[in-house]
Parts: sequence; structure tokens; C-alpha cells
Amino acid sequence: MSAAVDFGLGLRPEHYEEIAATPGRVSWFEALSENYMVPGGSPLRWLDRLRRDYPMALHGVSLSIGSIDPLDRRYLDELKALVERVEPMWLSDHLCFTGLRGQNMHDLLPLPYTEEALNHVAERVMQVQDHLGRRLVLENVSSYVTYAASELTEWEFIAELAKRADCEILLDVNNIYVSAFNHEFDAMAFLRAMPRERVRQFHLAGHTHKGSHIIDTHDEPIVPDVWSLYAEAVKLFPGVPTMIERDANIPPYAELLAELDEARRIAASVTRRAA
Amino acid sequence: MSSNAGSLGDLQRAFQDYLLAASDGFQGAVRDTSKADRLTLLDVYRDGYALRLIEALTTDYPGVMAMAGPADFDHMARAYIASHPSRRPSVRWYGRDLADFLSSTEPYRRTPAAAEMARFEWALGEAFDSPDVTPITADALMALPQEAWETLAFATLPSLRRLILAFEVPQAWQRREEVQPGDLLVERAPGPLTWAIWRPDLVSNFRSLDTDEAAMLDALVEGRSFPELCEAVAPFTGEAQAPARAAGLLRAMVEGGMIAEYRY
Repeated sequence: MSAAVDFGLGLRPEHYEEIAATPGRVSWFEALSENYMVPGGSPLRWLDRLRRDYPMALHGVSLSIGSIDPLDRRYLDELKALVERVEPMWLSDHLCFTGLRGQNMHDLLPLPYTEEALNHVAERVMQVQDHLGRRLVLENVSSYVTYAASELTEWEFIAELAKRADCEILLDVNNIYVSAFNHEFDAMAFLRAMPRERVRQFHLAGHTHKGSHIIDTHDEPIVPDVWSLYAEAVKLFPGVPTMIERDANIPPYAELLAELDEARRIAASVTRRAA
Repeated sequence: MSSNAGSLGDLQRAFQDYLLAASDGFQGAVRDTSKADRLTLLDVYRDGYALRLIEALTTDYPGVMAMAGPADFDHMARAYIASHPSRRPSVRWYGRDLADFLSSTEPYRRTPAAAEMARFEWALGEAFDSPDVTPITADALMALPQEAWETLAFATLPSLRRLILAFEVPQAWQRREEVQPGDLLVERAPGPLTWAIWRPDLVSNFRSLDTDEAAMLDALVEGRSFPELCEAVAPFTGEAQAPARAAGLLRAMVEGGMIAEYRY
């Protein structure tokens, strides 16, 4: 991966004008697919304008790749049209289901890590990749419940899925941290199990600690423990593009740039030590 | 091919039913941790479902929020959520039926201004991300040969919406951030008034229409020719004044950026 796309931010409407006014502070942006799957208007205008200056990735929340409902062909067609418009570096969504029986829960609901689920998801990933004509990048989600039915660990499931479906992985470092706390597993075991050649991108984000569990809220700065885990991730997967996700309590653009500088500093420090 | 049968399907159905509070049968499918019991953890999902949809409604309906206040809005939103499953992948479309819900459901139907506010705000939202079309200019019309006006007809911008409002909703909507939530008063208008909402470029516009203008716009949207637009205006102005009035109204619509194209 070239240095040009090392460190990115989520594209948020609150920052459109400042992004346009301060070129060069961020090397790429990740746009939320559903926000731009609309007929027209200001968001699409901004997307087109900023796309001229920056590489972009598309990141969706509604693919529902693990659902037992049939794939939503209308959604896939709209997504394909957006992909043709944006020509993203890659296209990602989440390893989860978001509803069934035609009802969308607008949440990233975890899958049981079973052989049955693995077969089901792998088949659907291949169908989506065929439809879109490109590889899919799937993100590990934060989850709060542990299924009694799970037969595999989350990392075994993801690594095997990537291999079977020939897809790539978006490693959300915060989500690994959150799920490791919630499910009482070793975050490093997760990281070490990821197939190096398939890790396409890192996510970093903040969360809300409830004492007995952590909720993935994306509304706070990244905590020191997640920065530490990120340093370990960079050691294992050097050169993978990183971006910071903030979806609520959106701070001034300068605050996110400062957080991104911290990611740069950590990555540079790890790289120096490795050299 | 995976089917809806089997444990994955059973588990997903049970989980969704649990989130919708239709069944508590799912609890046995998940485990306690050493730090938290399963009900606490399941509540993260169950609470989150309503909160996300309430947030979407709050974003789409700031005027209704300003009228109702947070507590009543929350109560209303939960009643809407309970009766309106989300059918689209994007939460952008979730609030589409709120105006109909408010106008047909007790106790909200007793405050008809709330349903009108919802209808107005949804139309603004639709205009916001409707297809982009560049409006025609008055100069283009002026350059047409005289005979073109015998058959000249128009199409409006895709963003154009017309609403008949009995309350002074747009005026109140403009005050929505000046009052404490719950304090926005919406007065009844002296009579029902037609409002147009449209987006000529990036910013949405709205304005009220005179009675003859509303009649003419109705005819224009139906694809009627300019002589027929004059006929639509005539009952209000008299035959003699109708062509000049229709031409003036048309010019205002064109200069306001409401008209997408013409044909003759």
C-alpha cells in the first residue's frame, strides 16, 4: 500500500467545508455508503467534489451478510451504482446480520460462530462479490452477547471465512478490544490469528465503558488501551491503512486530525523499532 | 444453499423477536459472563433498537420535537416504532409514515398541527436529497417563437412538493430553534393555504402560493399547455386578465427555480 493512503478519517457532513478548505491533512476518507445512496442533493455533491481530491473507501452498515433473509438485490444494485460513481479503493461492511423477515433492526447483530453460519456467510459473500465484481472487505463487530451455540472462536471464524470466500478483513481494533472485554478473551489471540495478506484496513474508535461491559458508541476519543492494542496490530500488520471512526458527538475537525496524528506517531514508532 | 430452517435461522428469529419484545425465549441462547448477566447484555441491543430509531426521527422532525418536547416526543416515537417496522436498509426512510401516523392515531390526531408539521418536514427532507436537475431560465422562455406558446407545457423539478396546510407550520418551523423544546406554538392559519417546497440548487426553498397560482401550478404539474394554464387562472382573474396573470406567475416560478423543462 502506498504511503498516500496510510491514514484516513470518516467523511462526515460536519467537516465537509473544512476538509475542502484544508487540503492535504488526511490522505484518504471513508464514506458511509448508505448516506450517499440517495438520488441527489448536497451530500452527493460534496462526495463528488471531495472524491476529486482524495482516495476513498466505501463502508456500509446494511448489507446484512449473515442474515437468513435473501440478499437484498435492490440494495446491492444501489450499492453497485455508488461504487461505479465513487470508484473506491475498497468496499467494506460488517460481519453480522441487521435483521430478517424484511425488517431492518439498524444494528450490527452478531452471528453464532458455527460451521452452519460459516457456510451460510461464505456463500453469500461470494454471491455479493460476483454481483459487485469486486472483493468485499468485512469488519469484525463489537458484540455484547456470547452464544451458547458457538463452536468456533470469532477469530477462527473470520480467518476461515476470509479463506473460503476469498474476501478481505477490516480489523476494527476498538471492536476487538470491546469484544475481548465483553467476552473475556485475549485480544492478542484474535490479532495473531488474522491472515496477514487479507487485512485491508484498520478502524479506530472510542467507546463507552459500563463497568461490567463496554458499548461501542463511536462518540468519544480513543482510549489508551486501544492505542496500545493498535500498536500491536501495526507490528503484526505493517503498512495497513488506518482510519478513525467518529459517528456521534462529532468534535471539531482539528480534534480528529490530532487523533490521527497520534495514530501516525504510534505507527512510526513501531516501524522504527522494527527497523 | 442455506435455507430458513436450521439453528442459524432459529437463533436469528429468536434474537429479533427478543429485540422487538415479542418473546423472551432467546435468553437461553446466550451466556452470562463473569462480569455481567445475560439480561444486562441483551438490553444493550434491545434498548439500542428503539434509541437508534428515535434518533432518526429526532433528526428528521426537529419541528415536531420543538412542539412536543423530549418526553412527549419520546413517547410518540416509541408508539410509532411499535407499529412501524423499518423496511428499508437505510434509516433515512424510516420516518416516512409519521405524518399519517400522527393524523390517524390517538391522542396525536387531536393535535392536527403536529401531523401537518411532520408532513412539511418530510417534504423538506425529500427535497433535500431528491434528484439534481438544473432549472430553466426566464431567458430561455423569452427566446421561444411566439407560436410555441400555443402548445408550450412544462415539467417541475423532481424536488417540488405541494402541501395544503391549515396551520402556520412553515412560519413556526422557522422558529423551532428559538424556543425551548415543547414550547413551539403553531397557530391556525386564517384559511387553508397551498405551500410549495422545492430545491433549485443545494438549498431548499418554500413559499405559500396565491389561490390562482396554486390552481395554475396544479395544471402545470399535470402537463397542461400555456393556454390551459391561462384557463386555470381565469376563474380568479377574469378571462381578460388571465394571460397576463398566468405569464407573470409563470415568470415567478421560472425565476424561483421551480421549472425543470419545457416542451412544445
